[in-house]
Amino acid sequence: MISVRNIYKNFGDLHVLKGVSSEIQKGEKVAIIGPSGSGKSTLLRCMNLLEEPTYGEIWLDDQLLTPADPYLHPEVMKASRTYQKLLAEEMAKAESGVKAEELSAKLEQELIRRIKEEDLLNEKHEGSEYKNLLKQIEKENRVNVNLARQRVGMVFQHFNLFNNLTVMENLTLAPVTLKLQSAEEATEKASALLKRIGLYEKKDEYPNKLSGGQKQRIAIVRSLVMNPEAMLFDEPTSALDPEMVGEVLELIRELADEGMTMVIVTHEMGFAREVATRVLFMDGGQIKEENTPEEFFGNPQNPRLQEFLSKVL
Amino acid sequence: MTIQSLVTKWNMFFDTFLNKGGYKEVLTGLLNTLIIALLALVLGIIIGTIIAAIEVQPKKYGAWGKTLAVLKKISGIYVAFFRGTPMVVQLLLGYFVILPLLGINLSSIVVATLIMGLNSGAYVSEIMRSGILSVDIGQMEAGRALGLGYGTTMWKIIIPQAVKNILPTLGNELISLVKETSVVSFIGVVDLYKAFRNIGSGNYEYMMPFLVMAVIYIVIILIITFALKMMERGLRASDKR
Repeated sequence: MISVRNIYKNFGDLHVLKGVSSEIQKGEKVAIIGPSGSGKSTLLRCMNLLEEPTYGEIWLDDQLLTPADPYLHPEVMKASRTYQKLLAEEMAKAESGVKAEELSAKLEQELIRRIKEEDLLNEKHEGSEYKNLLKQIEKENRVNVNLARQRVGMVFQHFNLFNNLTVMENLTLAPVTLKLQSAEEATEKASALLKRIGLYEKKDEYPNKLSGGQKQRIAIVRSLVMNPEAMLFDEPTSALDPEMVGEVLELIRELADEGMTMVIVTHEMGFAREVATRVLFMDGGQIKEENTPEEFFGNPQNPRLQEFLSKVL
Repeated sequence: MTIQSLVTKWNMFFDTFLNKGGYKEVLTGLLNTLIIALLALVLGIIIGTIIAAIEVQPKKYGAWGKTLAVLKKISGIYVAFFRGTPMVVQLLLGYFVILPLLGINLSSIVVATLIMGLNSGAYVSEIMRSGILSVDIGQMEAGRALGLGYGTTMWKIIIPQAVKNILPTLGNELISLVKETSVVSFIGVVDLYKAFRNIGSGNYEYMMPFLVMAVIYIVIILIITFALKMMERGLRASDKR
């Protein structure tokens, strides 16, 4: 469903993500845990392009959200002048009689790795074949990011309900503005969802009249009105009073039980263990361990994870 | 100065104002002042909002990034010019230099409105920019995450909240526009100031006309202030305050 391919994210000199790859299958519930500053929120925000990865690709099924990354496409790399130059150098070194194709096949990975490590690629001087191949990939697969975002809901740590709109307007704004649903359809769907979480009588209130737990549940429902195929949760309970955490987790658990694909960045270890089908541990901008919750919590391998769990559990 | 002479002056003014039709000119002047100020503010808000929405956009790459860079340059020059020269100079330039050069014929009141609107736009753009920046970045992210475009989110979510935050400052802008209309007589528009000046010039007696003029300006400003307070209260419906 969501495919993260070797993404890097730099904020200036700060390297937040250093080569992260992960496949999130339909129906999976993936929890991402890790110390603060480990890049887990950035990874989540990259999944719907709220952060644009510096390198790497994000795919939503067969739709490419980011620009195509040449390093992930060997045929593009092989068309680049830099690669051709390196290959020619190798050819000169090799014994006579070796064919260019054979050498290329043998050294392909090695050369691409070298280009990447030494940062030899210069977009401007790689020739038209290279450029056309990249363009071709983007033309065939890349979608408007706004369209992709309609398919993936996002819930924020600080709720981010629209302060200038009532609860009902918050829920119906996106589907109606984007002409995905008529005003009546959206209102009906929103009403049903509000009734489900017991907040229907708040439909004409403004967000600042609500408690944190109510705001977060409404923020979740706001995503649901869009009929998303997957949901991203960015520390959904971190900004809540302790007594309100339960009601929000309960709603997320219900969604999980209904089969929603979800990725949750969380500090609620108990919740991750119970709801997730897979847990990722991030540290220093990389996924350090990835396993089923039983193995992950019961038999952690990575020393940093063992240390982390001993502190938080 | 004796009471007697003050009464005489008042009677002279009153005579010109009422019996010789001076009030008609004052009414025209008042109307012109209000129309120019209001239209200029509307124009200023439109221009200012567009510029602010351009200015706050993060740096982008690709074709749109290049357009954006050019737009930012243009708006920078525009703001620098209109904040860097006196309004009178802009009016004179517009009416006596730019229009003749372009060979366009516009009435002086239209030119006054346009120039004041452009001038106001430069100031409103800065006000609006600070208003937009005062809105939590999470509001934009939430809109974008739902699949709404930058412009839609800006228009439906960010700007309404920004306007609420900057309404007192925008009110100031309207007030200073009303007062600054007093320079449009430089290009021959009859505004409130010009009307009273004309009344006074009939008999070279300016004391009473200018006194009454000052009172009228104050009354207009007080009414605007009151209206703005009411409007602000309405907009604060979504606040706890």
